[in-house]
Amino acid sequence: MIHFLAKRIAQALVVLLLVSVIVFVLLHLLPGGPARAILGVQATPEAIAHFNHQQGYDRSLPEQYAMYLGRLLSGDLGESYKLNQSVASLLGERLPKTALLAGLALALAALLAVPLGILQALRRGKAADYVLTGAAFLAYATPVFFLGLVLILVFSQQLPLLPAEAPQADTVGGLLADLPALVLPVVTTALGIVAAFSRYMRSAVLDNLGEEYVRTARAKGQSEARIMARHVLRNALIPLATLLGLYLPTLFSGTLVVESMFNYPGMGLLFWNAAQGSDFPVLLGVTLVVGVATVLGSLITDIAYAVLDPRIRSVT
Amino acid sequence: MTDSLLRIDDLHVEIAGRGRTVHALDGIDLDLAPGEALGIVGESGCGKTMTALSVLGLLPHGGKVTGGRILFDGTDLAAAPEPVLRNVRGNTVGMVFQDPLTSLNPTLTIGAQVAEPLLLHTRLTRAEAWAKAEETLRLVGMPRPAERLRNYPHQLSGGMRQRVAIAMALICEPRLLIADEPTTALDVTTQHQILELIDELRARLGMAMILVTHDLGVIARRVDRVAVMYGGRIAERAAVRPLFATPRHRYTQALFAALPELPRPPLGGSAPVTGADRPLATIPGLPPSLVTRPTGCRFAPRCGFATDICHAAEPELTDGLDDTPPAAGAHAFACFHPTDPAPGAEPAAEILPPAPARLPVRTDEPLLRLADVSKTYPLHGGPFARRKGAAEVSAVAGISLTVRRGETFGIVGESGCGKSTLGRMAVGLEAPTGGSVHFGGRDLATLTKRELRAHRRDVQLMFQDSYAAMDPRMRVGAVLREPLVIQGIGDRAERRRRIDGLLDDVGLPRGAVDRYPHEFSGGQRQRLGLARALALTPSLVVADEPVSALDVSVQAQILNLMRELQREKGLSYLVISHDLAVVRHLADSVGVMYLGKLVETGPAEQVFARPLHPYTRGLLDTVNAPDPDAAQAGSPLGGETPSAADPPSGCRFRTRCPAATGLCATTEPPPAEPETPGHRVACHFPLTAGAVSTG
Repeated sequence: MIHFLAKRIAQALVVLLLVSVIVFVLLHLLPGGPARAILGVQATPEAIAHFNHQQGYDRSLPEQYAMYLGRLLSGDLGESYKLNQSVASLLGERLPKTALLAGLALALAALLAVPLGILQALRRGKAADYVLTGAAFLAYATPVFFLGLVLILVFSQQLPLLPAEAPQADTVGGLLADLPALVLPVVTTALGIVAAFSRYMRSAVLDNLGEEYVRTARAKGQSEARIMARHVLRNALIPLATLLGLYLPTLFSGTLVVESMFNYPGMGLLFWNAAQGSDFPVLLGVTLVVGVATVLGSLITDIAYAVLDPRIRSVT
Repeated sequence: MTDSLLRIDDLHVEIAGRGRTVHALDGIDLDLAPGEALGIVGESGCGKTMTALSVLGLLPHGGKVTGGRILFDGTDLAAAPEPVLRNVRGNTVGMVFQDPLTSLNPTLTIGAQVAEPLLLHTRLTRAEAWAKAEETLRLVGMPRPAERLRNYPHQLSGGMRQRVAIAMALICEPRLLIADEPTTALDVTTQHQILELIDELRARLGMAMILVTHDLGVIARRVDRVAVMYGGRIAERAAVRPLFATPRHRYTQALFAALPELPRPPLGGSAPVTGADRPLATIPGLPPSLVTRPTGCRFAPRCGFATDICHAAEPELTDGLDDTPPAAGAHAFACFHPTDPAPGAEPAAEILPPAPARLPVRTDEPLLRLADVSKTYPLHGGPFARRKGAAEVSAVAGISLTVRRGETFGIVGESGCGKSTLGRMAVGLEAPTGGSVHFGGRDLATLTKRELRAHRRDVQLMFQDSYAAMDPRMRVGAVLREPLVIQGIGDRAERRRRIDGLLDDVGLPRGAVDRYPHEFSGGQRQRLGLARALALTPSLVVADEPVSALDVSVQAQILNLMRELQREKGLSYLVISHDLAVVRHLADSVGVMYLGKLVETGPAEQVFARPLHPYTRGLLDTVNAPDPDAAQAGSPLGGETPSAADPPSGCRFRTRCPAATGLCATTEPPPAEPETPGHRVACHFPLTAGAVSTG
């Protein structure tokens, strides 16, 4: 198990290095280069040359990459062009908030999807299965922004139960203090995931119910409820674990829309605003974070896999 | 009958699915006394497994008992509510299933799974249940049971997993054990160990048993009585000896005649073995589908003795003496034209179809020659897998053999011995990591890509599972045309002609070209597999377990067909099988493989009659002959095959060999021909005539 983890973490580090290379390359693909982006279209060639020399942009690419990587490791992601703040401190403020939104949404999704999937599998071909399947496809097919608008319209305009704007606190604790305001952003983010996860759960449970080990458990005299809880559930969660990790990047694109819609002060909103104002260091900083999240997601998947499935553990 | 433990009366089971209903069981009557062992035999789809499953109410999705009673210890299980059934399952009736890998939960420890029935049916604490689980694992012959409790199923071998499954079924000390094909998924030697274990436990615990199997050999010496099933009904039921000695139902008779038999080598003697040259009796056609209830005898459409009454009326079980229903213990059969039980009244020839006999090999011309061929695989993937000293699996190690033109060479061995790898190298699908493969005098390694493609015409593969080997979305015509197109043979009309010819050859209607593979039965698919292999008129067909997936009656059809085509087309076969009887039936020469090594090779009748290697001898001794009176000869093999990743030093068989000495551990035995030329053995202490008389 330790060997397996060490190997996977080493592999993840290699991928992270590649992510940094890609972001570095993107930095150099900026239209007109970073100098033109910062100094604007009016800048004289002298000013640009001076800027490039000052920033080290006139050195060879490998040298620049080494410098970039050095800065990266010391936490320096550059300065925002617009907000007069370092990218690192911006991300430090915003990332926990997005993580909160994504985490709550993911937890809610898993909490709903697992029982829903089991229910559908048990009621296969009956009314409940068809209704839930229809609802899942509807939720899956509805764009997040439309879903958010509908939810705002219903729960904050028609029935004034919940606020239409996310909490505006500076800290995670402050966000949590205003729970009602969190409900709509979290639910909007979660619904699509519930739809997808419950479909997977349904088919995983169905697959496992058809397995011979379930028949063995029945032949022992085990009840259907205990067969589900003790035998099927763990085996059915294995494919869901894969999905969970792979969903992290998707989740980010979901929060991007949700955050700008509900004015939630997270990384997605930061990215949105930075994109509007061509704030390239911020955009690249966020890109880096998403890259890291993706790698971490697949690492978490592998670990969850190993925990759930003893067969993976023994394959080093 | 008040003293019966289990009594099944007129049981009817239907399985609904996809808009049609299968009448799986149609009036089954069975009776089992306490401590008695009953065998249920039949081919796939005959209802034997459904009978076993219905006892515990474990019928598959859509299945239900539509009539009859299942009285177990006075309770009608067919009508019992779920809680009553649950209290019987795993408690007073234990069940063992066919595949020990899939019937264990991969994510729970052995201990948790073995202790589970105890926690359900007794008031034992978890710790007490685990202690009992350890004890039960010891009872079923599991080495180091305390350690195994914490293992997961994938960490055990197939035989050990089946021991776990048996421990699970026995932990509550049931009064009845139902074993559904408990050894079908296991190797010959493991099969024997498991059957012995079940026998021994049954005697020790005094429980009754229902042993469900397709294998007449398995049942012959393990049960008291046998029920033969066909088409959802009992065709014949009798004590085991009368049934094997004088089968009365025409189906039972045909089933025995279709069995390729393995003549037993007399101990130490050298009596000539014949009989393999006779064609096998086949049963034409297919079992009934059971979607519509057949009128008349279900076997009538395939029976050579059927008359009008057989098609019109359904025969009831009778003892042939009077019209009253037969007693539970009587020899009963449901046939209007039973065999005559008088000795010699039933000449075997009567039911033998005209089928070809084996022709002697005509030439000595070597077609395929393997010289010191080896194949190792890296144990782990990745970029460093091939580095020096990395862990390797030695699948095939230093094998030399020659297949002559027109000859059938049989390779026998248990799973993991490297026989399939050898087959793939013979075809050229895999390159050996050592040694050379010569075909028609040319070294395959020296062929260019273009030459290799041309070579593929000459050597074709036939698979165990022909269905899996065919694209399910291609029609049969396209499947058969593809090799012709790839090799650029003929124009459209010419290909069409050849495909028609191929279908004629393998006995399928020409209309088959427009159908898809899934529309055919197992035997027909195997015919298709053979047709595809023959499409390019090869000179060698490598057949990897060609009949392992088939029922006995269909197996005989395919074996006869293979031999017939060999005679017509002068084919050579390299037949790979775990089934000694099949190899014995087909092969002129055999090679016996163990853990990547060819331990013995020579003319088939010599190897089978006078095995020189202790492994060959052990394999032959282990086979279950379909004869209730056959004494277990010699010493069947114990132990398990070691891992090919870490084969034993010296002779690879020494860890299981009764005659092994220090020499065997240090020195690999060189091949020698101690008795007759051509009969080679790689053993320091071969079982030669001299060795037998002195040792």
